Amino acid sequence: MDILNLLLQGVSVSIIPANLLSCIIGVLIGTLVGVLPGIDTVSAIALLLPFSYGMDSTAALIMFAGIYYGSKYGGSTTSILINVPGEAASVVTCLDGYPMGQKGRAGAALAISAIGSFIAGTIGLIGLTLLAPPLAQAALAFGPPEYFSLALVGLILLSKLTGTSTLKSALMAVIGIILSTIGLDSLSGISRFTFGIDELDRGFDLSIIAMGLFGIGEILTAMTHADAKPDIPTVKFRDLYPTKEEWQRSITPMFRGGIVGFLVGLLPGPAATISSFISYGLEKRCSKHPEEFGHGAIEGVAGPESANNSAISATMIPLMSLGLPFCGATAILLSGFMIHGITPGPSLITERPELFWGLIASMYIGNVLLLIINLPLIGVFVQLLKTPLNILMPLVAVVTLTGAYSINNSIFDLIWVIFFGILGFLLQRVGFEPSPLIIGLVLGPELERGLTQGLIICNGDIWAFITRPLAATILSLGAIVILYNFVTWVTKLNNKRKELNVN
Amino acid sequence: MENKAATTVKKYPDKPITLIVPFGVGGGMDLVARLLEKSAPVNLGQPLIIINKPGGAGTIGWNELASANPDGYTLGMTGVEVILQPLYGTTKYNYPTALDPLVHIADLSMVMVVKAEEPLQNIIDLMSYAKQHPREIKFGHGGMGTIGHVTGETFAQAANIQLEQVPYQSAAEAMASLLGGHIQVAFLNPASVKEQMKNGMVKVLAVASEQRLDEPDFINVPTFKEQNLDVVCTNWYGIAAPKDLPDEAKIKLTQGLKAMINDPEFVKNMKNLGLKVTYLGPKESQEKWLTERQKLTKTVQETGIAEKIKAQKK
Repeated sequence: MDILNLLLQGVSVSIIPANLLSCIIGVLIGTLVGVLPGIDTVSAIALLLPFSYGMDSTAALIMFAGIYYGSKYGGSTTSILINVPGEAASVVTCLDGYPMGQKGRAGAALAISAIGSFIAGTIGLIGLTLLAPPLAQAALAFGPPEYFSLALVGLILLSKLTGTSTLKSALMAVIGIILSTIGLDSLSGISRFTFGIDELDRGFDLSIIAMGLFGIGEILTAMTHADAKPDIPTVKFRDLYPTKEEWQRSITPMFRGGIVGFLVGLLPGPAATISSFISYGLEKRCSKHPEEFGHGAIEGVAGPESANNSAISATMIPLMSLGLPFCGATAILLSGFMIHGITPGPSLITERPELFWGLIASMYIGNVLLLIINLPLIGVFVQLLKTPLNILMPLVAVVTLTGAYSINNSIFDLIWVIFFGILGFLLQRVGFEPSPLIIGLVLGPELERGLTQGLIICNGDIWAFITRPLAATILSLGAIVILYNFVTWVTKLNNKRKELNVN
Repeated sequence: MENKAATTVKKYPDKPITLIVPFGVGGGMDLVARLLEKSAPVNLGQPLIIINKPGGAGTIGWNELASANPDGYTLGMTGVEVILQPLYGTTKYNYPTALDPLVHIADLSMVMVVKAEEPLQNIIDLMSYAKQHPREIKFGHGGMGTIGHVTGETFAQAANIQLEQVPYQSAAEAMASLLGGHIQVAFLNPASVKEQMKNGMVKVLAVASEQRLDEPDFINVPTFKEQNLDVVCTNWYGIAAPKDLPDEAKIKLTQGLKAMINDPEFVKNMKNLGLKVTYLGPKESQEKWLTERQKLTKTVQETGIAEKIKAQKK
């Protein structure tokens, strides 16, 4: 067992007090970054880079990695408690996490998401330890036509995440795609749909829209119930942790989420966010109670919160095996590495094995630390819900607006948060779900870029996409799902007609 | 936001200085900026705060820089695209006149890379294949109208072949697509191919400089000129401020930046990245901007690249 030996060597590096301490600091900062809405991993690491100059390079890298994977632990906290996603990857957790909190099961939701994060994070790490080089090669097989196919099928499968009508969901997804085209085009640099307003060149940040639609939207909804007596769920100690039934329903989604997240994490783009949506969609399809989704189904928390953590480990694979960052967070990690004179890539594993394996081992240790930190915090966080609504909601507004401002230091963004808050409120009122809009916003740019680049690569012939084995497989999977949905719809319609005839 | 008028500045600098990086984190320019961050408090008296404003091949960040208050508290990293982008006629500002260069940090000659173990392993083979199969070879670069794009088009022109261009969001994305075999060639800067070259994943066919790069990893790479192709395209990094800085700030910045860039540790760290520091002051940088502008205007317009890029941008 060569790898086991190397890993043990790594453990011996990572438990040196200085390294262990930086691991603890890293995961603590990471948890904080996750909990606070608006502060994302990239800007947190970028802010801390200058403070790491005095540190030993191994310790510094362990700390940066700790911030990165730690941030996905805390992201679910605000989603569950106050319907404000702490991280883009935890947007989907609002869908079922917040209703669970409303029913007095916030503790269970938080516990399941922490444990799921731990299990999936470890699954991801095992994958990273054992399979990194072959998986990195496999990921390269995905080119622009494949990304286009993935995004297209993703949109078809994911846009109907919540219970409302297909037409309404599709409409929201399309609005999301349209919103994603606003700003400077990422390939050509041309301003689109900005009406000459400079601030719009940047486009809409996903977090801004999510905070508005979910956070501010929820505050406005709560305001309409102002005359109702504030209903404060009393939380007993045993309510803090999941019941046996909740456990049993969560354990498979955790593993499924872990595997899905890992696979998605290998591909370029905002992997953690996309993987959480895919996991949610998957759980809904696998579940025996799909009707509970959107009303506090624990699977809808367990799956996505696991998926985003294993995606993190997977995003380290292209960085470590190819020297290429596939997402924003690994790009800033690359900067962190380079500033300390270390170039991530295949030569790192052979030239500085103690550093590489020390880092990997510290990630195993960090995952355990995160679980230890997060479980006791649940009790503290749940107390928050005892706050009466007329005090809690203004606080939520302050947290949301501060977070939104901190993303780009732009007043303009605050206007958009409020705008999307009002939009979210109105949409809820007329029975539209905001989550397909978020999916359109995430996948829209991937779809467009994949199409543009793919068409050039295929000499302008869109049918050439289906001559590429991978793209063809993905597209036909999508076609099968559409066909399946259509057939079930027709059979249902027929059955209804038969029943009517009998009557 | 604090809006201090330039005239009321008493003792410059009395608060941190923002340095806009108009490209994403982890890219070459971002790394150089972050290496400077380290010695800023000593040499400038205040820390540098690095803000990434990526998008539009630099234009988002430079628009912000050009419209910023010229009080010495907002600076920006610059690259050759500062000169290139206005030539396509779509930018909001003419950066060479809207900005004031403070320092020139390093030059990076573009390189042409192919994936290792692919059939086209030298420039002659590649050119003859492209002659027989026009538009079949696709080349990748880090964004429309960037120097990588211009290098590719210049090469096609010089070799009298037809290539198809594929824009990517970053050098890393173009590299991933090259390694996956989705494109056949990429035009990137040497720093972003070094690691993959060292590991035998890619082969560098030519460098677009006058002379070979005097770096151990690249010393065996021939120039385009050696292969009778007139392709000389160089990217560079520098720092600029919005026009009309107050004198006090300009003097302080010029001195501080000079010390920072000639700092032995910075030079050593740059070398690690595969970049050689070549310091130029504000005046020399300004002259360089002018000559570059003339040269690039000629390159992109006489060869029709500007028209081509304008058309491709649609």
